[in-house]
Amino acid sequence: MNAKDSEKVFLENVQGLLDQGAENLESQTERRLEEIRAGALIAVDERHPRFFFPRRWVLAGSFAMATLAAAALLFFLYPSTATLPTGDLEDLEIITSRERLDIYQNLDFYRWLGSQDNHVRPNGKGV
Amino acid sequence: MESTLDSKEILNRFLAEVERRAFQMAKFATRNRDEALDLVQEAMLQFVRRYSIRPREEWSVLFYRVLRSRITDWYRRTFVRRKILTWLGRPGEEDSEDPLQRMPDTGNPNPSDHILRQEKRGALEKAIRALPLRQQQAFLLRAWEGMDLKQTAFIMKCSEGSVKTHYSRAVHTLRGLLEGIRS
Repeated sequence: MNAKDSEKVFLENVQGLLDQGAENLESQTERRLEEIRAGALIAVDERHPRFFFPRRWVLAGSFAMATLAAAALLFFLYPSTATLPTGDLEDLEIITSRERLDIYQNLDFYRWLGSQDNHVRPNGKGV
Repeated sequence: MESTLDSKEILNRFLAEVERRAFQMAKFATRNRDEALDLVQEAMLQFVRRYSIRPREEWSVLFYRVLRSRITDWYRRTFVRRKILTWLGRPGEEDSEDPLQRMPDTGNPNPSDHILRQEKRGALEKAIRALPLRQQQAFLLRAWEGMDLKQTAFIMKCSEGSVKTHYSRAVHTLRGLLEGIRS
């Protein structure tokens, strides 16, 4: 029998003796262990608040709040000084208006029509 | 409701599986039945509250990690208490003999074989109690609980190299002390 086999046999014997010791506890100890187990099972219900509000949620919420606070701080410390181009705003008005766009395609015609209106009264007669 | 009952029953079975071994481990460390029962109680409560929501396959390692932690805390407290008592001139408590060793087992058909095994068991338990705490834990977790190196290192909160060292020293010491158990 080599050293490895010898150690294996030794450990098997040790396991057997330890198991025997654990199986042959005093009845008083066994009863006490059962009571302890029953008490631990009652404590299962105490863990539920942790289940609904786990620590990682608190961590995630804290991280989100910290990011928002940092963004707000940067915004107030370094406000943007660039002015918006007015032309762009006019374009925006055109795009968002409910008017049909084909009116701008005949802009020359309407300009001419407007100049004619300056000389013509509503009754069709000139100034 | 049914799933809660099922999970409680699964937990009950798991605790019933580990409670005797846990008690024996705690008793090897404390050499005192009541202290060992208190440690098992603390470990079970802490395990149930903190880790019973984890997957079933992780329970064994987590339970023994909690138990080891409780035992180590107890060991530190006792060490300090003994130091103070020694300093005050009052000797610590003597190791008491396990009454179980003296109890007759009427169910065994071969009394001489039983006595031999009981003697061996007594010698083994005495030798394990005499081991340093870290060696004791490494040996019991590896040789008795069948934990692998990684699991034992996780439970003992140390490196795998340390586990190897503690375990091999424990085996070497025990084999030297327990020649009779080999046969």
